[in-house]
Amino acid sequence: MKRFLSITRDPIDEAGLVADRTLSSGMGAAVYFSGVVRGQEGSDAIVALDYSCFVSMAEHQFHRLFDRLAERGSVESVRLVHRIGRVAVGESSLWIEVVSAHRAGAFAACQWVIDEMKQVVPIWKTPVTAANASSPSNPNPTA
Amino acid sequence: MTIQVTFWSYFAELAGCSETVVTVSESTPVDGLLAALYQAHPALAELRRSTLIAVGVEYQDGEYVLKAGDHVSLFPPVQGG
Repeated sequence: MKRFLSITRDPIDEAGLVADRTLSSGMGAAVYFSGVVRGQEGSDAIVALDYSCFVSMAEHQFHRLFDRLAERGSVESVRLVHRIGRVAVGESSLWIEVVSAHRAGAFAACQWVIDEMKQVVPIWKTPVTAANASSPSNPNPTA
Repeated sequence: MTIQVTFWSYFAELAGCSETVVTVSESTPVDGLLAALYQAHPALAELRRSTLIAVGVEYQDGEYVLKAGDHVSLFPPVQGG
């Protein structure tokens, strides 16, 4: 199974990612999901989310998930980009694509990776309101 | 032996620092390290039930026996996506 992982402070280039897609002739489904920062966190209006990350562990845990995905056998490739740092409302914080032979498997695999990521990958988010937008983004210097 | 500890996310604010070093005796389990950390940083003790623990880049529980050179991380539930 091919895999691509990027944890980045840069905006996610969704059009570029889609343009770079490769799939073999046996593959009939390419499913991708873009997670976008909403303008509300609970009942509070926000302007952004600050994402912090324990990068080396996050990379390791993502690859463990990809290993488990490969064992399922039906996925040809997975590509995942997670943005960290400050992500404004309306911008994408997560982009994931799964290529598989059939639609059901691709949707299920995409959903599975996201669900598992939310359990084990050490990334955290802090809401940024208009009032605290000038505060430092997070207390971990490596994140 | 000394164990390096990193606090991630808002645990750093609760601890008052993002990193610390704790001296423990040989064969100390993670639970022993946590007892020392909670004494030094009582605000973290209140969140012990939801605290996630990693040694290096792997999750571990309180029974893991620490070795010289281990780097322990404590953090709240993850929120990626």
